[in-house]
Amino acid sequence: MAVLPKGCLSTVITDKQAALGDLAETTAAQRPAQRPGRRQPWLRPWLRWLLTLLLAAAALAAVFADTLLAGVGREFLAQRFQTFVTIFLGIFIEAVPFLLAGSLVSGLIAVFVDQSMIDRYLPKHALPAAISGSLLGMLFPVCECGVVPVTRRLYEKGLPISIGAAFLLAAPVVNPVVMLSTYAAFGWGPVLWGRIGFSILVAIVIGLLFHLAQPKETLLPNVSAAHHDACCHVDHATHGPKPPVGARLQQSMLTAGDDFIDMSRYLIIGSMLAAAMQTLVPQSALFAIGQGPVVSVLVMQLLAFILSICSTVDAFLALAFAGTFTTGSILAFLTFGPMVDIKSSLMFLGVFQRRTVLYLILLPLLMTFFIGVFWNLNVGL
Amino acid sequence: MRSTRLEALIKAILLLATGFFLYGRIANGTLYYYINERFAGFTLFGAVGLIAVGLAYHFGRKPASASAQDLAHDVGQEHSHAPATTHAHSLSWGGAFLVALPVILGLAVPAKPLGVAALDNREFNLNLESSALPASLRNVADKAAEERNILDWSRTFQKTTDYGTLVGETARVTGFVYKDPTYGADHFVLTRFVVSCCVADASVVGLMVRSQDPSLQNDQWIEVTGTFVPSDVAGWQAPVLAAESMTPVETPQQPYLYP
Repeated sequence: MAVLPKGCLSTVITDKQAALGDLAETTAAQRPAQRPGRRQPWLRPWLRWLLTLLLAAAALAAVFADTLLAGVGREFLAQRFQTFVTIFLGIFIEAVPFLLAGSLVSGLIAVFVDQSMIDRYLPKHALPAAISGSLLGMLFPVCECGVVPVTRRLYEKGLPISIGAAFLLAAPVVNPVVMLSTYAAFGWGPVLWGRIGFSILVAIVIGLLFHLAQPKETLLPNVSAAHHDACCHVDHATHGPKPPVGARLQQSMLTAGDDFIDMSRYLIIGSMLAAAMQTLVPQSALFAIGQGPVVSVLVMQLLAFILSICSTVDAFLALAFAGTFTTGSILAFLTFGPMVDIKSSLMFLGVFQRRTVLYLILLPLLMTFFIGVFWNLNVGL
Repeated sequence: MRSTRLEALIKAILLLATGFFLYGRIANGTLYYYINERFAGFTLFGAVGLIAVGLAYHFGRKPASASAQDLAHDVGQEHSHAPATTHAHSLSWGGAFLVALPVILGLAVPAKPLGVAALDNREFNLNLESSALPASLRNVADKAAEERNILDWSRTFQKTTDYGTLVGETARVTGFVYKDPTYGADHFVLTRFVVSCCVADASVVGLMVRSQDPSLQNDQWIEVTGTFVPSDVAGWQAPVLAAESMTPVETPQQPYLYP
């Protein structure tokens, strides 16, 4: 088992974090900083600082742009804000159904799957486990929004970290819907096979890395199965008489509601960041940077990260770049984007510890970068 | 939030509000300001699903402690050994505000499709010369010239090796006005955004229109009928549409074109 027993110890840590969060949050409001029975802050302090900084930067950029385009003034800002709201709502509205679907699946897993099933059916050895994790998306056709609540719920049920990481990274590409849309856009060819193959490869390697490194404290305290076993004695699916199916279905709806609200916070922050980037950073600036075999890959990865579009449709967008950008960079766009973008990396924060999230961003970034560059230099189709 | 019941109520309200917000956007047609019409079905599922979950959340929880919390350890259950509940599911006021933000912004800021303000930050694909859309999608030859929209014309230009063959064809197209000083006072670009998923992936297509009408404003929607003539605009290879008539029109129900 990759989930390390930490349980009650982690509760103490979280209390400390909660207290820190409260300090940062409540000094202005003159509330007592520590109060028994206080909740965990919904955002970690560092993230709050990051957001503040970003908002300040956005405001500065807007003002700066304003002075540059002297005379356009308030109307310009109002139009920019309108554009920001439209793009933000666009990303949000597009993602909501998928997040809801993921939450509903998560609710069903919470009520109908118990830990022994996961122990029984999943392979024990590292490589088959990572492979099965990366192919799990064929069973759960989810995009990068829906995959997060499902993964979190599976972790709560005791899924090993390595399998979950492979699933989380590969599922947004390795599922029937995305394969079909990629086929529709690019047809049979190196892009389709490269996208699927490299996504699986990256997911397996990262799954194996997590398995070999056996990192401690990867999950948030309230996500890990050990926490639930040690602290709560709540494995109701296995203890005591089972309630009727109707009640359990209703229960799964409640859990889905909790999950949706929980995850939508990260989705909303992520969509706002993506919309702000789109409103403030001109795409032409990105394209002007470079077309070389190395830089083009980086540019497309950055674009995938900023755009934060759903993996079910990003192939059609990539098509628009296929003429101007190298195939390696298109492949990097199509493999890195579904794994990591602004909104999904924020949603990761609802599942993993900060450091793990960093690994989950940097490892795919590096691997898809090298794949893209390698493709440009050696295959060049 | 201290009370579990209050929290449950607020969560139910948030779910219902988001659901009804989505439904409202579908009902008044502004949904297409945000996403490709292909995905409207998903949005409907989202609206109905959120309302259902919200109702279940409210009514399913009525016997506040018994059935719901016995089964779900999730919601705000007190831990006997720890002073603080550490569950991620507890919601702060700030968190509740954040979840309400899309609805608040959506209602406070009047719904408008992307316009000229969004052009600055996008690759202006006016000729679509660089993009590579699949051949199956580019098959516009069977559309009558009068029925082709700006995207169809852009694709036609893209496929054509000799622009001369297109000179003399008439077109009737709708779009919004984009005036750029570099094109001179008697030219503007009739523009549409092309959206394959949501507005986050919007790209731009446009036809250069020659017209002497000085009253045109940026972002104004018009229908232009005219004939293609060879381009006399620096840096613009594709034929220019010499306007014969221009009629102001309402912002269309579907302001974007779909590839």
